[in-house]
Amino acid sequence: METLIGKGEKRIDGYDKVTGKGLFASDFGNQFPNLAHVKALRSPFAHAKISRLDVSKAQALDGVIHVMISDIPGLDWDQFPKTAIIAKDEALWAGQIVALVCAETLEIAETAVELIDVDFEKLPAVLSYYDAIKSNPISVVDPDYETRPLGFTDRPGDRASNRVSPNVVGSFKMHAGDVDKAMDKAEVIVEGEFWTGKKTASPLECANAICRYDSDGGITMWSNGAGVHGVIKQGICRVLKMQESKVRIIQPYMGGSFGSRLNPYVEMLTAFMCLTVKRTVSFQFTREEVFIGAPSNWPCITKVKLGAKKDGTIIANDYYLAEEIGACLNNSFFSGRLSSSGAIPVYRFPNLRMDTCAVATNTVPAAEYRGLGCPEAEFGIECLVNQLADELGMSPVEIRMKNIIDKGERDAHGELITSIGLKACLQGVADVIKVDELPDQDMGVWKKGRGCAVGGKQNTPLGRSEAEVWYNSDGSIQLFISCDENGMGATTAMAQIAANELKVPITDIKVTKGDTAITPYDNYSASSRTTYNTGNAVKLACEDAITQLKEEVARAYGLHPSMVDIVGKKAILAGSYIQEVDIPSLFQPTSMFTQGNWGLKKGSPIKGHGIFCPAPIHQWNEKGLSDRVWNWFQYSAAAVEVAVNEETGQVKVLKIASSADTGNPINPKLVEAQIEGGIHMAIGFSLNEEHLFDENGKIANATFSDYRLPTILDMPTNENVHSLINPDPLPDGPYGAKGMAESITIPVGPAIAHAIYKAVGVRVRGYPMTAERILALIKEKKTKEAVK
Amino acid sequence: MNGEKMKIKITVNGRKHTLYVSPDRTLLEILREELNLIGTKRGCDDSNCGVCTVLMDGMAVKSCTILIPKANGHAITTIEGLERENSLHPLQQAFIDHFAVQCGFCTPAMILTAKAILDENPNATEEDIREGLHGNLCRCTGYKKIVEAISAVRNGEYKDSCGEV
Repeated sequence: METLIGKGEKRIDGYDKVTGKGLFASDFGNQFPNLAHVKALRSPFAHAKISRLDVSKAQALDGVIHVMISDIPGLDWDQFPKTAIIAKDEALWAGQIVALVCAETLEIAETAVELIDVDFEKLPAVLSYYDAIKSNPISVVDPDYETRPLGFTDRPGDRASNRVSPNVVGSFKMHAGDVDKAMDKAEVIVEGEFWTGKKTASPLECANAICRYDSDGGITMWSNGAGVHGVIKQGICRVLKMQESKVRIIQPYMGGSFGSRLNPYVEMLTAFMCLTVKRTVSFQFTREEVFIGAPSNWPCITKVKLGAKKDGTIIANDYYLAEEIGACLNNSFFSGRLSSSGAIPVYRFPNLRMDTCAVATNTVPAAEYRGLGCPEAEFGIECLVNQLADELGMSPVEIRMKNIIDKGERDAHGELITSIGLKACLQGVADVIKVDELPDQDMGVWKKGRGCAVGGKQNTPLGRSEAEVWYNSDGSIQLFISCDENGMGATTAMAQIAANELKVPITDIKVTKGDTAITPYDNYSASSRTTYNTGNAVKLACEDAITQLKEEVARAYGLHPSMVDIVGKKAILAGSYIQEVDIPSLFQPTSMFTQGNWGLKKGSPIKGHGIFCPAPIHQWNEKGLSDRVWNWFQYSAAAVEVAVNEETGQVKVLKIASSADTGNPINPKLVEAQIEGGIHMAIGFSLNEEHLFDENGKIANATFSDYRLPTILDMPTNENVHSLINPDPLPDGPYGAKGMAESITIPVGPAIAHAIYKAVGVRVRGYPMTAERILALIKEKKTKEAVK
Repeated sequence: MNGEKMKIKITVNGRKHTLYVSPDRTLLEILREELNLIGTKRGCDDSNCGVCTVLMDGMAVKSCTILIPKANGHAITTIEGLERENSLHPLQQAFIDHFAVQCGFCTPAMILTAKAILDENPNATEEDIREGLHGNLCRCTGYKKIVEAISAVRNGEYKDSCGEV
């Protein structure tokens, strides 16, 4: 049979989704007639002392089952996900939960929330990085934080150890080569400070969970959270001290995630309430709650200085980065290392100094968002590479071709780059958009410009994936996996791998997914790891099943197993009196009296199991260097043509080309779909999306009418959206495949920024590049020109 | 919430229903909670995401902002009403064939909106389709493949019925 790898097989979940028959977690409510409902009272202030909290009236309301407040003896809230921590004496962001009501109906729960007597004393709040690092800043979390043992697991960075601010809560440093010396030798230097906005991933299904209280005191949960085993079940068992046998997590279809559902806040609280009231409970976030009560991304501030030779060779990068992480108590995750990882794998940088930190603010705690900080971290570098090209009179393509790392080289960390197709990606998009040619100026006040950029993102080695495959006695195949299906098509790709290994059509594979009582362990779908990690596990599980089948078939005909080949339902034999055998016919129909302990028996499948885990990292040395900090790297390039309205500052993306280095794609149609979706998501956050705050520090645009996600009209027309795949096979990926979904979002913003510069001559230093901001830059430029 | 219940007569997917429900409930709530038609989704409650779109007398409407008395006497089509006798509607088949589906949460609403666009104008141009879809958000696809799927149906690439499924 011809290989299925590289074929655009249709999605296995297509029918369920176009008919509305596929169930999402939020569709399960109807199945429980006695469902109890949870509703939260949240702080309206970014920073406030809770001077009085009296829930007696709420508790007394008919139909109220329980009102939960922070004061629970023996409970360590620090172990909870940060957005799930119920505020005790002080609320640290507008939206933090102060009390949680559980009632017979949602209406009663809402009424009870209004009956809670609570007094807040408003305290000064810190809403941005710049507020947080002012001299004599207000302290967000705890002024003595630095003295806590949890504070700095890495070497304290200069800015942290100099106590610039008590709000600096984690740091990382690395230094490769000698940046100072290299800067002295540089013939041209460009530098700048860059910022990015705070945004919410906004999958269309709001966060939700239903938790059933089981008769044995255990729980069964349906939620749209990611990581049934690695995130939700492990989290609940650890934090709520539950036996593993008594926690079952089921993930139905998920209405999107983009990283944002990797944090089990709604799951933890729903499980905790369920166990407290011993009832089946439902907690459905509203859209506003997804903004104010669920993690945002983390914006990054970067200060970048690039030193280069006149021929465009970059010889040094002096790089500072701060992650703005919101009110993350007990920070042990952020140090700048995650975001700044994006500064490493793209360019050669023989001399690179990184000094990074995390800064707390009184805003919603940050967590994963597609790209893990890399779109934010690489924006400044990409903008400056474009500026460098302009100053040297070079093409933005040419300068990158000089500096992009080649396969087989080591990056500044010292890591070996085993797969990089970035130069082909860049050339591809540059050719489609004709980046080096000037567009016709034929749109009046709308001035056109073209730009390009590139991006790279590491894959974090995130542990183990397992898969199980059943070869049933009738030859049908079942695949059991626990990777997330956020919508990207992972289950289709996994079915395709299994079908390819067993040489059957993909329609012969039945996939069962995401149920901790049935499907084997997987951590979670993060860092674009599913195709690579779970894909390898599926391949290994199939190989295991095939090995067992070969032995059984070989035994039946007295052959060595190496003489048997499995092709779907057929075994092809060499050295026997027959050449081909129908495998299902070898499964013996038996009565229970004669079934026996061995051999192929009707109704009893051959089961293959596969476990795959990437090699561990090597701890970095005192210079922050290591030959294995990350696993592998995904790359993308983007080129755009935009039109900028000189009078209003509005930006329209007219044409865009985006290219992904996916390794060998398992399913190029699914890759194309990820590219198009990534383009659209990046256009949204580059031009429009950001949290705005009211006078109380609450997100003022926490609805879809005010937080404007990109609509179809913000996308270029179909003929002007180009997706390209430029694979460089990954040696350890299944069939050479690797992940790709995050990298797409990285180069779009800086490509737009450069196109804006080409159109109207202003250099943008941050995003979202709203009309107001562009107009202000245009006016500033005109004023300067008038003075001259 | 505790108001008098009122008698509502609506036709949903060709079936007549008489319901006694509180008048402050939305069409979305009635469809999902009373009639168990959960293909219609809830995403924002202020008619900005479009995942609750259904057809009312053939027009695409956001069911989260229609109070049930306003639907009284009208004919509603939900995604469950498109598939007939185990045969997919051309738009449903086209969405599968063109990879216009990812997470699937916006898909029922997208398909119904597309139906309204093509029913009103069988020769809808790409511009018409874009205009018609601009109230329906999708976070996954970037919309390109959705437009491709709808254009394929407009071009007559699908028969009325797409066969046994």
